[in-house]
Amino acid sequence: MFSMRTLKTSEAASLLNVSPNTLRAWERRFGYPKPQRSAGRHRLYTHGEVAALRDALQQGLSISSAVSRAREALSTDTHTLVGALAGFELDRADSAMESALALRSLERSVEEVMLPALDELWERYGIDSAPWAVVARWADGWLRRAQRLAPPPVRPHAIFVGDATRNERDPDALALRAFELFCGRSGARVVALPIAGVSGIADVVGSLSPDAVVIAGSHLPDDDVALWAYRVRAASGPLPVALFRRAHHGTAVRTTGTRVLLDGPFRAQRQLLALVDGGDGRRRHDVAALSAFGYEVDRHEAHA
Amino acid sequence: MRRLRALRPVEVDDRGLELVSFCGHCALAPVGRQPSRVCGHCGLGLVLRAASDIAPRDGEPFLVIDATLSVCAVSAGAEELLGMDETQAVNQHIADFLVPADANAPSSDNLLALLVAAASGGGEPRTAVVRPRTEFGVRFRVRIGPCGPPHAALLVLSA
Repeated sequence: MFSMRTLKTSEAASLLNVSPNTLRAWERRFGYPKPQRSAGRHRLYTHGEVAALRDALQQGLSISSAVSRAREALSTDTHTLVGALAGFELDRADSAMESALALRSLERSVEEVMLPALDELWERYGIDSAPWAVVARWADGWLRRAQRLAPPPVRPHAIFVGDATRNERDPDALALRAFELFCGRSGARVVALPIAGVSGIADVVGSLSPDAVVIAGSHLPDDDVALWAYRVRAASGPLPVALFRRAHHGTAVRTTGTRVLLDGPFRAQRQLLALVDGGDGRRRHDVAALSAFGYEVDRHEAHA
Repeated sequence: MRRLRALRPVEVDDRGLELVSFCGHCALAPVGRQPSRVCGHCGLGLVLRAASDIAPRDGEPFLVIDATLSVCAVSAGAEELLGMDETQAVNQHIADFLVPADANAPSSDNLLALLVAAASGGGEPRTAVVRPRTEFGVRFRVRIGPCGPPHAALLVLSA
């Protein structure tokens, strides 16, 4: 379901009939084709992007116009998905995602095709509308299905997510679902629980032994979040805390030591893994982290 | 023994003028027969062809415009001269950057009409006077003629 053909720099250059240096120069000047990185930090180009550019170059008058045309060809997936979801044709929406996956990684398919389509639709319909409920349910189901197909955790890291979103129709909830999916696919164990439920949280935290805590969503007020964070800290000790898609509520909350992750789930996942992997890969205890929600952390206690 | 220079086929346009190849970014002529349309010198432009009396000479700055009057390519020289970036300019209307500056030109010589005619692949090379849209007192004489492939108008600026 989630296969994508990738090309090494030399293969992509050969397909485009240019040198690898030219391909890297295009990446700097035009930002396209945009490679991913392999585990060894080598560039990996998606075949779809390179093929689209090759076709565009045949018809183009400049590299810029060919890049623009290739991007346009790729963006049709978003338009197709919007059209399918707006017409409640969920099978066609699945097909649009399949097409997107043929050209991009799952992460980029979600971030560049699905989430922009969802943004357009929730702005069009409104969060409490029936059409948006259909769309949100489809997206939630798709992301859960992808999550079930993710490989089992291989990293030694566990991430505990406090879900402060409103419900499954909340656009932040869908972004959080994508964030969980990406973390899971990177090999980390992820457990997400609603912030509203705090009883018995010590048992969960004790068994998970998380390396980082993420608080996601803006729906719940800071007081609820602070209570939840206090309970987590009481069970686990100080941990790095990161905020994902959490807007300020205007109350006097200290955020020193708390990372604010980028809004895009993929970039947020990479930021978080960098935070957790930090230094020699051992678990980092961020002393100031939990003071973010108004609870003083005793530095001596944290170092003990 | 004296060696005769090898004969080479020359492509000509409708007027019998030689068609010359040049890079749409650095304006240099391609070396030999290259397998790709991408310029072997800079790697940042595609190789285009135009009649020798229109093609840029000695690094003259130029723009390439299609039949919808959208900018398709901006040479490195034109980027510098007009303070524009090709990646930003592509797909924008030419009138966003250059406007006619010859008030006495008859309407048939209207800049946009000349560009459309050239981009359609026809028309004699013409000259016009233009200025940057946001600047007064700076005027350029331009040569306009067809180039490609695909069909487009070449607008070569000279001081």
